[in-house]
Amino acid sequence: MNAAQVLNGIALGSLLMVLSSGLAMIYGLRGVTNFAHGALYMSGAYIAYSVSLHVSFWLALVVVPVALALIGVVLELVFFRPLQNRSHIELGLVTFGLALIAERVVVLIWGEKTLSVDPPPGLRGTTSLFGVEYPTFRLAIIVAAVVMAVALVTWLRRTRTGLYIRAASQDLETAGIMGIDVNRISLIVVSLGAALAGLAGALAAPYVSLDPGMGDTFLIIVLIVVVVGGVGSIAGAMISGMALGIIQTLTTVWSPSVAVVVPYVALVVVLLWRPQGLAGRRV
Amino acid sequence: MNKRFPATALAAALALSLAACGSASSSTSNSGSGDSATIKIALIPPTTGALAQFGTDAVKGWQIAVDEVNAKGGIDGHKVELLKKGTDGDTATTLRVAKEAVAKEGAGFIGAVMTSPEHAALNAQLQGLGALSFNALGKDDALVGDQCAANAFHIVQTNSMDINALAGSIGSMPGNKWAIVAVDYATGHSAAKEFTSAAKAAGKQVVSTQFAPLNTTDFGSYITKVKSSGADAVFAVEYGADGIAFVKQANQFNLTKSLKTVLGFNMVSEPLFPALGASIQGFYNNVGYDVAGDNTLNKTFVSDYTKKYGSAPYYVPADNYVAAETLFAGIDKADSIDPEKVRDALDGLTFDSIVGSVTMRADDHQLLRPSYLGQVVKGDGGDAFKIVATAQPDKTTPQAESACSF
Repeated sequence: MNAAQVLNGIALGSLLMVLSSGLAMIYGLRGVTNFAHGALYMSGAYIAYSVSLHVSFWLALVVVPVALALIGVVLELVFFRPLQNRSHIELGLVTFGLALIAERVVVLIWGEKTLSVDPPPGLRGTTSLFGVEYPTFRLAIIVAAVVMAVALVTWLRRTRTGLYIRAASQDLETAGIMGIDVNRISLIVVSLGAALAGLAGALAAPYVSLDPGMGDTFLIIVLIVVVVGGVGSIAGAMISGMALGIIQTLTTVWSPSVAVVVPYVALVVVLLWRPQGLAGRRV
Repeated sequence: MNKRFPATALAAALALSLAACGSASSSTSNSGSGDSATIKIALIPPTTGALAQFGTDAVKGWQIAVDEVNAKGGIDGHKVELLKKGTDGDTATTLRVAKEAVAKEGAGFIGAVMTSPEHAALNAQLQGLGALSFNALGKDDALVGDQCAANAFHIVQTNSMDINALAGSIGSMPGNKWAIVAVDYATGHSAAKEFTSAAKAAGKQVVSTQFAPLNTTDFGSYITKVKSSGADAVFAVEYGADGIAFVKQANQFNLTKSLKTVLGFNMVSEPLFPALGASIQGFYNNVGYDVAGDNTLNKTFVSDYTKKYGSAPYYVPADNYVAAETLFAGIDKADSIDPEKVRDALDGLTFDSIVGSVTMRADDHQLLRPSYLGQVVKGDGGDAFKIVATAQPDKTTPQAESACSF
């Protein structure tokens, strides 16, 4: 096993970390299993494609999270808030329908052809690290994910809004009774969760290829990451995302066919052994 | 709010995904309701998912062919009507749509079905349906082997034909140590096996063979293994989005620059050139259809297609056009639109097509046609294939398998 393979695992884990933290945030607070999360990720990648093509990838890293945050505001105000007293399955079906709509909208705007995005000039080629030449863009993804994780955890732990989010994620009704504006908190969380999905899409655009079904590939894996991490636990999702990325990549080196089932095995093992997930209900 | 339903949520996600996989779109026809003398062809391509673009382009090939014959008054006085369907490439959906098209709408002929598993399932049902299928896309050898059917006609080259077309050129390609990265699919395994034999016969060494599952998004670990194997040439069998991800990531790892040869198998094609970028210039790939083919029929087809759709045709619309040419030649010879008579007329029939003079082999219904090796070069209007070798069907086409019996 060489250092490059470990870095491959960390790079994939970084992408899963960013994507799953947004899903975990929304589930933790709203209790919504957002099946549209993969579509948000895909939309982020396609918007990043257009911004990169016409302006620059660096601008895409700013524009995409902002655009997806606005979509998150719409999700919260039009769907999640009015339907908050409906059953989980109903809300899940709504988000699933939204995902299908998003896929068709992407086809209408960008077409069915597979697209690709080049890394920005400063992040092309390789960089020497631990004695191996490793793609600079993958290293940038790892750095971006670490910065995001540190910023998110600091924000949740050190700020008043973060305190409210943690409180509301534990018990929304009691948090409301205690005077927390849960609607405002939900709006922040859903828009931030969507923004993170968009950021993951923008980071993934030069990493993978773009097609309208790209969100589906990741959705199931990210749902598993969130369940394994502890449903609603942001830190748990980050840790399990990183762990799954590394384990799956290293298993691929040994046997690609076995690596495909690693997430599902992890899901079964965790549900049997620790159904509350690795981090339980700790946000 | 109750949060204890992660397993339920996942189960729902999987169930919904599966439900979505079973979707099929309704049909549209291009010439209204036909009468009893109308030749009805059901086109059943994937219209969603990663293969949707190829499905759309397959229909374009048929449409051009049908427009041409209808403009001339049809075939033997029969107008041709296309019943355009849509699936997600799922075998069960395709079968259901095919049965409906034949039983309810009177289609006697089927085209634009895409994947080999769909064709395998369809072939088993064709006799019962009383319809003929023209396969211009599924390349699995088994379709003209133990999965062959009297009512199925294999228009496209099989994997063996494509590999045999490459095999003659492997010896002259730069690089002695080859690494294989292939899709973990029947096609990928058979291509890797055939290539390994051909490489050894040419005095080359295969130092690494890896199979990546379909829809792999991260090729980092595969590329790292290729780099550490000491390979100086790569044979890659990755399709569509997987192929683009592989090429892009190979560039990011600086793998491509360190190789003397990259030989793709069904990996590089014209619709993917923009997404693959300039880094593929110099790549070799099998080419099923030569757009510059020097015959009148091809020139007319390329001109009509380019005029109607704004870009030159590539193998998907072209092979589907050849499928239409085959059907029309059969109807013309049979002087009938009865599927059984058309089938009998096609056995051993030689006719002119956009790929030159071709023959429908009676033994297994494989169309005998040339195959090519192309190299991506920078052209005036962007990247293009330059044909560097042509292999005639007597060199590429294996003997009909004894497992195929009508």
